[in-house]
Amino acid sequence: MPNLTKYVTPGRRLCFSEGVTAGPGVYERGEYLYASVVGVVQELAPTTEGEPRVVTVTREKVHSAVPDVGSIITGKVIRMTTKEAVVSIMVVGNMPCKDDFQGIIRSQDVRATEKDKVKIYNSFRLGDIVRAEVISLGDARSYYLSTAKNELGVIYAQSVAGAVMIPISWQEMQCTKTKTMEPRKCAKPDIPLPEK
Amino acid sequence: MVDRRRIQGPEVSVAPIIIKSADKRTCLKDEHSRRRDGRNLEDICPIFLKTGLISQANGSAFIEIRRTKIACGVYGPRQTKIPSFSGKGNLNVEIKFAPFSCQKRRQPYRDAQEKDLSQLVIEALVPSIRLDLLPKSTIDIYITVLENDGTASCLAAAITCASVAVADAGIEMLDLVPASSASYIGGEIYMDSDLAEEQHETGYLILSYMPSLKEVTHILQSGDVDLALTTQAFEQCTDACSKIYSVMINSLLLPIRDTQ
Repeated sequence: MPNLTKYVTPGRRLCFSEGVTAGPGVYERGEYLYASVVGVVQELAPTTEGEPRVVTVTREKVHSAVPDVGSIITGKVIRMTTKEAVVSIMVVGNMPCKDDFQGIIRSQDVRATEKDKVKIYNSFRLGDIVRAEVISLGDARSYYLSTAKNELGVIYAQSVAGAVMIPISWQEMQCTKTKTMEPRKCAKPDIPLPEK
Repeated sequence: MVDRRRIQGPEVSVAPIIIKSADKRTCLKDEHSRRRDGRNLEDICPIFLKTGLISQANGSAFIEIRRTKIACGVYGPRQTKIPSFSGKGNLNVEIKFAPFSCQKRRQPYRDAQEKDLSQLVIEALVPSIRLDLLPKSTIDIYITVLENDGTASCLAAAITCASVAVADAGIEMLDLVPASSASYIGGEIYMDSDLAEEQHETGYLILSYMPSLKEVTHILQSGDVDLALTTQAFEQCTDACSKIYSVMINSLLLPIRDTQ
């Protein structure tokens, strides 16, 4: 439970750093903790017994999300080759990006087993909405993404006929209009996003 | 051997003659050493500072000091366009003088002075922003000078304004960076000098300072000045920065208070 509430600006000295840890929006310098964003100071009780309290500053205005290693992203497949699918990252966690970031799902990162048999064309199609995990900051241009988990993969796709498809198994989707099957690496549905 | 490809400087050098016009300088202040607008020499001008004027930017600020008017927009963090990997964020600043901002018309394209000033703003702001938290990203800051009332005070205002806009964008930073300027005129320090005073100055000092951390992020001085005078100007600028700091804090907290 928060036990003190006040608004601060960057550079505001909050408290001594001894016995508390810096949470999001707070940094430690010397023997003090300082705020690093505009927002509300909150002092949170530790999640487990015996650990120090956490001081956080919650932003008043959310800035555009930036992908980081380990974060779950949602994006759209915009380009495909035989080796990789290029994804335009639109949402990081639950936060939308103001400008899209570019990510790549390489064929070896599509699924966890039988990696050598993966065909990008049988896993994704252009325009699919994909949920994936950032595994590396990647090269100069793109983040490296992976869908090698049950809950990761295609979450929304349209068939050749243009109708919405529903997942049948983890690697097949069926068109609601023509009942044709199309191969996809589907995400296991109905699992809420893991809390970060 | 003589290096023919480069222009050789003369072997003896002479100190430049600084022309002082005594008669013009006297009219800058009256017998009570008040300046033309009624300020004392060490006073800074009142500041109007407001955040969130540019709706499509992530963060924005507008500053008005005397006749200086500057608008600033912050975009990002967004994916960097530079084709090389960097684990740290990148800061990009562009200052633009509006064609009507100065006494003489400015060209609409970017000139050398604008590039220079942009670089100075980058140098002043980079130590305050936590770029290590934003790998592969760029923060773009666009500063538009709508009216220029003295270049030194204009640059100081631009730094102040940009820092508030970055904080308004919700980007993590160590501290706000207020900046203030001082002109050396006839062995005296004129704080926050205007255009007419600037034409008589023999040098200037621009200081960017993080008051909470008590750290200087950038200092720029030009002209032939005594050490004692510089020290005094430095102290006056630090004080001025602390005053500007409270204005910056108020401008950031005011929109929050208004909504409640």
